[in-house]
Amino acid sequence: MADYYDEILRLCGFEDEEIEQERPRIEKSFERLGIGPEDMDTADSWVRHNHDVALKGVRKLLGAWLKELIDVVLAKDEGKKIVYFGFPAIPGPGLILSVSSKDVLVTAPDMVLDHTMGQIFNKLIPILEAGESHGLPPGHALCSLWQAKIGGIVKGMIPVPDLALASSYFCDMGSKADDLVTALYGVPVAYIDGVMDSHWGEYPEYLPERVHYLGAQINQALKKAEQVLDIEIVPDAWEKAQKGGQAFVTNLLKLLDLMKADPVPVSIADLEPLEALPGSSTGRGIREGIKTMDILIHELEERVKAGIGATQKGVPRVMIANGHCSDPRVTHLAEEAGLAVPLTFILSWNGGPPIKLKRTYATPGETIADYELAAGLFNGTDAQIKRFEMGADVMKLDGFILNYLYNCRPAATASHNQKKYLEEKTGLPVLSLEVDAFDSRAYSADSLRTKVETFAEMLKEKRRQQGDEKVI
Amino acid sequence: MKPLDKLNTHLASRLTDLQKAKEQGRKVIGYPAGGYFPEELALACDAIPISFIQAGNNTVLQDAGSYICRFFDPFWRSQVGYLTSGNDAYYTIADLLVIPITDNHVRVFSNTAGYYTPERESFVFGVPHVKDDIARDYYLQGINRLKRKLEEFTGVEITDARLRQSIELCNRERELLREISMMRKSPEYILASRDFVALNHGSFLADKAVMVEILESFLNELKQSSPLPTDGPRILFTGSTLARGDSKVTELIEDTGGLIVMEEFAEGIRPYWNKVGLDGDLLANLADTYFMDRVCPGWFRPGTERLDFLITLAKDYHAAGVVWYQLLYRESYKVESYFFPDRLKKETGLPMLTVESEYDAMETGPMKTRIETFMETLRR
Repeated sequence: MADYYDEILRLCGFEDEEIEQERPRIEKSFERLGIGPEDMDTADSWVRHNHDVALKGVRKLLGAWLKELIDVVLAKDEGKKIVYFGFPAIPGPGLILSVSSKDVLVTAPDMVLDHTMGQIFNKLIPILEAGESHGLPPGHALCSLWQAKIGGIVKGMIPVPDLALASSYFCDMGSKADDLVTALYGVPVAYIDGVMDSHWGEYPEYLPERVHYLGAQINQALKKAEQVLDIEIVPDAWEKAQKGGQAFVTNLLKLLDLMKADPVPVSIADLEPLEALPGSSTGRGIREGIKTMDILIHELEERVKAGIGATQKGVPRVMIANGHCSDPRVTHLAEEAGLAVPLTFILSWNGGPPIKLKRTYATPGETIADYELAAGLFNGTDAQIKRFEMGADVMKLDGFILNYLYNCRPAATASHNQKKYLEEKTGLPVLSLEVDAFDSRAYSADSLRTKVETFAEMLKEKRRQQGDEKVI
Repeated sequence: MKPLDKLNTHLASRLTDLQKAKEQGRKVIGYPAGGYFPEELALACDAIPISFIQAGNNTVLQDAGSYICRFFDPFWRSQVGYLTSGNDAYYTIADLLVIPITDNHVRVFSNTAGYYTPERESFVFGVPHVKDDIARDYYLQGINRLKRKLEEFTGVEITDARLRQSIELCNRERELLREISMMRKSPEYILASRDFVALNHGSFLADKAVMVEILESFLNELKQSSPLPTDGPRILFTGSTLARGDSKVTELIEDTGGLIVMEEFAEGIRPYWNKVGLDGDLLANLADTYFMDRVCPGWFRPGTERLDFLITLAKDYHAAGVVWYQLLYRESYKVESYFFPDRLKKETGLPMLTVESEYDAMETGPMKTRIETFMETLRR
C-alpha cells in the first residue's frame, strides 16, 4: 500500500519492491527523524532543484545515502553494535571492523545526516541547533559536522554508539568532541593518533616513522575495538575490506575520466555525494554507492558521446576543494556563474595516492597508513596543495576556487598559502573563498555569489583575450 | 638588587648579549613556548635556546592576517605576525627555528616558517596526542632527529657528558620554580601570581645560569618574607596559553580582589613539576619527562589527566574557585570547558568561570564585569 514517502523514495532511486520490503523500517526511522507527510513537498522540490534527476545514477546515489540513514537510525533496535568515526576518516579500520562482523555497524553519522536530512529533506538546521546547545556553541568556529552528530544524538535521531573511533591524526576538534560524547554518554573511545609533522615541501616523501606510528595506532585501535565490541577481526578482513575500496576507486577514476570531457557531463553537485561516501559508510551506503556508480558511468558515457553537459561547451574550468554536504545550492554557484567544475580536491583524494607505493608491511595498520600518507589529505598542508596542483593539467583547468572550511582547522591552515602557491606554480588565477561546507546558514550561496561571479567574469575575459570568441 | 629587578636588568640587555654571542659563533635556537622542546639539547651543543612567548597585542594579529585566516588561536597567529613582520627582535635573532608540532594551531606557525620565511631554517618534529609506549617512542624518535640536526647545525657533538651537564642545569631551574610554586599551598598568601609568572616567563628568555641564580635569590627572600596582607578568594587559574604580554585576565582577577594561587597553562608557562633522570639513556629520560611525565595539555585525547590534575591542584592549593581562560578558536579548551564544570562541582564543590580572549581591548569591559561578579559570588 502506497504511503506519503513513496514518491520521494522513488525520486531517490528506490525500486517499488525495495520500498515494500523496507516499509516497516522506513516508517520507524522516519518517525524517529521527525519526517512526515508535511515534509514531502519541500523534499521533492529541493531534490529536483538541486540534482540532475534525469540521471538514474544520481537518484540512486541519493538513495544509497538514505539506506545508510535508515540503517544507522535503527541499528540499536536491530541489535547492532555501533561504531562512529569522524569525517574525514581513514576508512580502512572501519571497513575491517565492518567485514569482521555482521552485527557491527561502522559509520560517520554526521555525514549521513548532512546528505539526507540536509540534501534530501532540507531539515538539518534544528539538528545543528541541538548540537550548538550541547557543548558546541556558535561563534567559535566549531565543526558543524560535529554539531550535527551531537545534535542527532541529543534529539534521539541516531543512537548512542558503543564505540567511537577517533580520527586523532587530522583534526583536534573531532577527538575532543569524542571526549564530549564520553562525558555525556560514557562512550569508550579508540583513538587512532597521528601527527601532521612533515617539513614544508617534503611531500611526496615522508618519514617512515610516520607510517609506523600511525600504523601502530591503527592496529592498537582495532585491538581495542575487538575488546569493546566483543568481536574477532577475521584473518582476511583487510583483503575483504580492500576489495570494496578498490571497486569504489576503480569506478571513481572512470567517472573522473569522463569529467575531462568538454562540456563536463554532469554537475559537480551530483558527484558530491561520492566525495563523502567512502569516508562515511562501510555498510549498505557504500555497497549501493558502488553499484550506482556503474549506472552513472554508463549514463555519463552516453552524455559525453552526445556532447551533453552540465554547462556549455568551452566555458572556463575550475577545480574546487569540495562540494557542500548539506546544501547543494552552494556547490552549484560556480556552474551558475558559467564555470565548469570537473574535479574537487576530495574526489581526487578519494581516487588514491598519485604516487606509487614502494614499501610492503606486515600489518594492515602500516599498509593503510602508508596509503593514506601518500594520498595527501592526512599528510599535511603542502601535500594537500600539491594535489590541487596536479589537477591543473589533468583537467585542463583555467583556475581554482579554493573554498576552505573556516571551521575546520586542518583545512583552514591553507587559507592563504594555497592561493599564493598555486598562482605561482600553475600561473592560474585562484579565488580563495571562506565557507562552511556543512552548514549554509552563515555561508549561503547568496552570500558567496558576488565573489564567484566576479571571478568567473575574470576567467571568461581571460579566455576572450586569448581569442576564444565562444565564451559568453 | 632584588631578584625580579635583576631579572629585568638581565632581560633589558639580553638581545645585545645574544648578538655578541652570535658574533662569537654561538647559534641561537628559537622555539615556541609549548614545553615540548628539550632546551637541554640546545644547551648541550653550546647553542642558546630562546623561546617565542610574546602575545597579547591585537595589532600583531592584523599583521598575521596577511598569512592566515582569523580562525586560529590568537597566540599562534601572534607568532605568525611576529615571525613575518620582524617587529620583535627575539623573533629575528634566531638562527634556527625548532617547532614541536602539537595541534593544528601550531601547524599554522610551522607552515608559515616553512613557506613564507624559508630563508630562516626550521626544523619540525611531532608531539603525539595520546600517551602510550608507541607515542613515547615516536616523540623519542623526533628528539633523536633534533639532536642530529642540532649537532649538524652547530658543529658540536652532543656527548653524554655535555647533555648530563645541561640536564642538571635545567633540573635546577625546574626544581627552584617548583619549590617557589609549592610554597603557595600555604593557607597564607605569600606570593603574587604576577611575580611568579614574571619569573616563569623570564626563564624562557634568560641565560640559564643567570636564571638559576635569580631563582635561588628569590626563593631565599621568599622564605624570609611575611605573608601578603590580603584575604580575597583563592583562584586556580588555568587555560591553554598565558603569553608574556598577556596580563589582562591576571590583572582583572587581582584588581577585583582575587588571589591567584596557581597557574596551570599548556603554553607560556614552563612545566616544572618533573625532573629529568640522569641515569641510563639520557635522550629516553628527556622523552619520559617532557612527554610522558608532563601533565598533558587539553589537546591530548583524552584530556582526563589534565582535568584530574586540576582537581588535585584545586584541593592542594585551597582554591575557592577556578578561572578557565581560553583563547578564541582553540577548540580543545572550548569543548572541555563545557563538561568540566560539572565534574569540578561534584568533586570539589567549586564554581568555575570561563573567560575567552582574542587579545582585543574591547573585551576588557565585559570581562571585568564577569570577573567582578564571580569574585563577589565567591566572597559570599
